Amino acid sequence: MADINEARLALIPVLAARSKGGYMGRTALMKYMYLLQVVRGLPLNYRFTLYSYGPFDSDVLVDLSIAESLEGVATELELYSGGYGYKIKPSSNAEWLKGRAGKFLSRYSKDIDWVIKKFGSFTSAELELVGTIVYVDRESGGTKKRLDQIAKLVHEVKPHFSEDKVLQYARRLSDDSILRASA
Amino acid sequence: MIDFLFSFAYIEPCFDNLNPHRTYEIRCPVHGFISLNDWEWTVISQPAFQRLRRIKQLAWTDYVYPGAMHTRFEHSLGVMHVATLLYDAICDKSAEILRLDLAYNRDGLGRDRQLVRFAALLHDVGHSPFSHGSEDLFPKRGHGKRYEHEDYSCAIIRSELRSAIEDHDLNANYGLHAEDVAALVDGSVKAKQPIFWRDLISGQMDADRMDYLLRDAYHAGVSYGSFDLKRIITTVRAIRSREGHPPQLGISKGGWHAAESLVLARYFMFTQVYFHKTRVAYDIHLQKALKEMLPQGQFPRPVGSDLQSYLRWDDWKVLGLLANGRGGPHGDRLKNRDHYRRVYDTPEVSTKKDFELLEEVKDKLGKLVVAEKSAAKSWYKMGSLDIPVVDDHNTQDVRPLSKYSNAVRGLKANNQVFLYVTPEKFEIAESKVNEVTANGGH
Repeated sequence: MADINEARLALIPVLAARSKGGYMGRTALMKYMYLLQVVRGLPLNYRFTLYSYGPFDSDVLVDLSIAESLEGVATELELYSGGYGYKIKPSSNAEWLKGRAGKFLSRYSKDIDWVIKKFGSFTSAELELVGTIVYVDRESGGTKKRLDQIAKLVHEVKPHFSEDKVLQYARRLSDDSILRASA
Repeated sequence: MIDFLFSFAYIEPCFDNLNPHRTYEIRCPVHGFISLNDWEWTVISQPAFQRLRRIKQLAWTDYVYPGAMHTRFEHSLGVMHVATLLYDAICDKSAEILRLDLAYNRDGLGRDRQLVRFAALLHDVGHSPFSHGSEDLFPKRGHGKRYEHEDYSCAIIRSELRSAIEDHDLNANYGLHAEDVAALVDGSVKAKQPIFWRDLISGQMDADRMDYLLRDAYHAGVSYGSFDLKRIITTVRAIRSREGHPPQLGISKGGWHAAESLVLARYFMFTQVYFHKTRVAYDIHLQKALKEMLPQGQFPRPVGSDLQSYLRWDDWKVLGLLANGRGGPHGDRLKNRDHYRRVYDTPEVSTKKDFELLEEVKDKLGKLVVAEKSAAKSWYKMGSLDIPVVDDHNTQDVRPLSKYSNAVRGLKANNQVFLYVTPEKFEIAESKVNEVTANGGH
């Protein structure tokens, strides 16, 4: 399996197993990968860009599909009024998949713990918001923005969140030293 | 609303070159006629865009499918056309969602229609010679990540095409900046409200994919890429999904078979054309030959004067260098059609057992293996594509396409791996593979 990014595949069952209830949704997977790469610096080599639903790279879903094909994880569909979601759980070959990237997983074990501890209780809508706030913060590059400026920019791409609501989440992220922006 | 959006099409053609309202039509083998306004015509006329006439869409695919000689130029026009059809259909069928959830009014929709057209037209303007075939030669930009063709597209939009976008008389009605177009292509927060439309440029149901599947299938002379575009256009919707989430693009229930045909077209084109064993072999030779030709073995960066140097690289230049023997031994292989041979492949959906067998084969072949190519690393990847489907009579009923379609539900990601050897060593390599597989039962 030399030509497949083993570390990325191995992360999927690990994140699912450590999530509340032993499963996670697709949004959670996408945003965990984003936060691990951008905030914690894991060398995942995804190319996240911004959509109205936050930072996204279709390669994360490609990796999910491959992890499913290899039976490292299994995904169940959940229908409810007004929408649907997915439950991603470790499957029969999860240990084998993890074993292919054992060193990587040990090296970044604390970072994996961090993302689950910080964001494991967030809803998918909150994760989209948090991902977007971090994206906007990082996109500012060398120009340090204030939190209220970030909140305004985020509101413009996610108008279903008020500026006050965005600011509230931005402050939480800032308090946890996740943002570069100044209060 | 649609009358307003289409209003430019009703203007009488005028042959005064100074008339900014002049319109044009270009024949397209896939879509019939593609309409342009004078503003778009000006952008298309720029050398940076005309360069796309000299960049083939599918690299050396014509060595397998001789008709596949088409270029990024006609594809870019096609993407703009399809994006517009989708945009207009969504404005028509999902007007309430656009108005209430995204605060659009008529002027806003008119402005963003033009913005989406430019983003669709220019999203590929930064492609390197032979398109995806040479992208592994983009330089790195820190953190070990390579530039991608989108980075070049946005750099060109912001520099070479800025004046053509910003200074046309028609822009007095829109106030567009080159940065607005680049932000939508690039996925930047600077895109603001129009970021919603980014899914039309690069997403699950984007105009790019819809055009390239139809166009590549047409030129390659295969039927695999066909799907019901007209039905997708009539059934595409903005869908309110879950609480706290923005609207997303999807399809109404009546169109799920058309969406299914899109997913299947992608599957067939991937297995039969994009990841064809010989086509992939030519990508290997192209990259190695180009590495011989490029200064420091890589393309110039998409910044400053380096961007000017980059724009001088197109298929013509590469073919000229190849003809002059500057491609090294791999250039000779391209010229003489003496490509690497695939000696071993895992199944389309490879399992743990298949990868264990692959390792055994690789151990047996040792240095005979000159290249390994994985579908998971291909430029046209085959991952999950689960389009939301809404019931028009009960908009609370939103389900993924896989809930309706058995075929989509059963479609798994292609993670096939090919091993290549030189033609000179093929027979000996094949016998070694047979020794392993006779025991392994592949």
